[in-house]
Amino acid sequence: MTDATAPAPNADARAKSAGERAAIDASCRGPVLFFAASAVFWLLVGSVLALLASIKLHSPYFLTGSAELTFGRVRMAHLQAVGIGWSSLMTLAASMWLMCRLSRAELPLPKVLYLAGGLWNLGTFLAVFGILRGDGTSVEWLDAPPYAQPFLVAGIGTVSAWVVATFRRRREPHVYVTQWYILGAMFWFPWMYLVAAYMIFWSPATGVVQPIVNWWFGHNTLGLFFTPVAVGSAYYLIPKIIGRPVHSYYLSIIGFWSLALFYSWAGMHHLIGGPIPVWLATASTVGSMMMIIPVLAVAINHHMTMRGHFHRLRYSPALRFTVFGSIAYTAVSLQGSIESLKDFSEVTHFTHYTVAHAHLGAYGFVTMIFFGLLYYMVPRLTGREWASSGLIRLHFWCAAVGITAYFAALSIGGWWQGRMMNNPDVPFANIVIYLQPHLFARSVAGVLLTVGHVAFAVLFVMNLMGRGQPRTGGPTYFVEPKA
Amino acid sequence: MDRGLVIFLGALLTFASSWLGLILFPFWQLQTEKPFAAAEGDAPYPQPLAGLALAGKKVYQANGCMYCHSQQVRSERFGNWWDASGEHRTGADIRRSYGLRRTVSRDYLHDNPTMLGTMRTGPDLANIGVRNPSAAWHHTHLLNPRSANAWSVMPSFAYLYSRAKVTGARSDKALSLGREWTVDPGYRWRPSAKEWDAILSARGPEILASALAVRPGTQLDPATDAGRANLLEFWLTTPEENYQILPTAEGEALVAYLLALRKAETPLPEAKE
Repeated sequence: MTDATAPAPNADARAKSAGERAAIDASCRGPVLFFAASAVFWLLVGSVLALLASIKLHSPYFLTGSAELTFGRVRMAHLQAVGIGWSSLMTLAASMWLMCRLSRAELPLPKVLYLAGGLWNLGTFLAVFGILRGDGTSVEWLDAPPYAQPFLVAGIGTVSAWVVATFRRRREPHVYVTQWYILGAMFWFPWMYLVAAYMIFWSPATGVVQPIVNWWFGHNTLGLFFTPVAVGSAYYLIPKIIGRPVHSYYLSIIGFWSLALFYSWAGMHHLIGGPIPVWLATASTVGSMMMIIPVLAVAINHHMTMRGHFHRLRYSPALRFTVFGSIAYTAVSLQGSIESLKDFSEVTHFTHYTVAHAHLGAYGFVTMIFFGLLYYMVPRLTGREWASSGLIRLHFWCAAVGITAYFAALSIGGWWQGRMMNNPDVPFANIVIYLQPHLFARSVAGVLLTVGHVAFAVLFVMNLMGRGQPRTGGPTYFVEPKA
Repeated sequence: MDRGLVIFLGALLTFASSWLGLILFPFWQLQTEKPFAAAEGDAPYPQPLAGLALAGKKVYQANGCMYCHSQQVRSERFGNWWDASGEHRTGADIRRSYGLRRTVSRDYLHDNPTMLGTMRTGPDLANIGVRNPSAAWHHTHLLNPRSANAWSVMPSFAYLYSRAKVTGARSDKALSLGREWTVDPGYRWRPSAKEWDAILSARGPEILASALAVRPGTQLDPATDAGRANLLEFWLTTPEENYQILPTAEGEALVAYLLALRKAETPLPEAKE
């Protein structure tokens, strides 16, 4: 680690770089806000679908009359709404803005990105409503009807090309680790999506090759699309907000390359004990255990960067959401490594324990960091601060308590579900009855999360409508810091 | 060297390694697999789905059945449990009769998509066509799972059935269920106290006569509370006279698919343990 510090910028240099940032943000404003706003829309849709599905698991007579709202369809539509709606759109929005900021380059031809966003939204719409109409494919993570796929391919292709083009026009010679992560994600996702669509739908592979491709894709969507961009966001936001450089450049490189190598090998742990060649599951167990390296590298790096600045979590919403997400990343990844062990998977496979784990990753980690990014990014794009500190507090506590309760309820329930399932002396009815209170608690947690999302959506719409202070003073804090 | 090129090549090579290792290699390894015939002239196993069962697979897919039901049997050596005497045992899937053996890749040769499943909110269905071969049971269970198991949280699939007026003889396909399940398909129906009074005053003697014919010796006197309750119980569990519940084309196809699920029943050499 070097202690070299840049010479203090003079007033002239500061004004010049502020002007440059304003020009970059102006080029991003339209498309990035379009992606972010539609992401929040799909988050709300996904929350409603999630609540429906959750309630149906303990109250089977709830809205039982219609085919469109049967559990299986709502479950598939929920995953598409939050997966390719919320998380993917936010991944793309974050990639575009962070790449522009870090490359010190304006977004080229921003109008084309409205088209890309429109295509992706149309694909998501066809996926969610196509599934409710009865065209779901029952391929986990790829439930979207085949007619939605071309729109998604065209959308991601355009955004990927634009992000790479922005990078190639960079004025900043230093390439920051966030840019590495984003470039990786923009390259990996189209590859894995095309492979999965080709081998499962366009030219279906035989038998168990399909679930193999399915879980290679499903796991990599989280691991090599959402994760790198979310980790990259944290790498950008934490040093930016507390105003000091990232702790170790070398740790960040180790973290990046070990993630690229090991995460891509981890997917088959979803099929441990399944009808696939044993060596495949073993290879993935190794990959999953090796994931401890990138996870610890990132955790140590972020922790050391934050050291001495933890008191700022009291004030800054962007920082608190981001740090919550980073801690969840460490937790969920270490848990994932343990879950890939055969003895552990024997209990947790086929249970709600896995559902809890998935939500700790997709929500506690990815979604929380994207909230942090939005709290930081949106005011810089609209020129307005957030209108209500109270709503931000409500959002944070609903999200934090909600996901913690969600995780606790399903982890405990899921663990004993697995233990009972492994004992054939326990009748299946007992397992179903045992799970009821846990599933009910999950619904309560889901209501909390949804309240938080509505609070955030209100804040977001107010900001877009020009409510809130112009961005001249400090940001909107949880509580005003003492001078 | 240009930074961008380093990142590109590194991202390419790392991801290509998993693509080759986890996707292409198993693809080559598994693509030569053939159906199995124990002796020459035997029908090879597995057989592809055809006709109604093939259509039923689409219904199973569209309604997300696999999000609660897996189709894979784990090995005899998989999972740990301790029996009443405290002895360590394994292999719950087979003891729960999900199959005679573990499922292997050959069981799924003709599956498309291959719905292994990741959750067992409900039991595994790999061999449901053998474990429970009664089409009638599956129909009544799909119409309202609580009619079979009071504790079930499975959704009702009443939208795969239609309630029709009986014209002439009852259809062979009509579900044999008491009126409590058929008056309001998908729900469990009971008349309110007032409605029951009205029904008794209109058709009391007729209901009493048919109840006495089936359950002689029971307290059925409509003048007493116990009698009225028993009479109601009897009446709710007898089918409606004028209406019947028929499976739609989709309902019939789904049950045909379920009955065609017979994985892990035919012995395969590679599945010996």
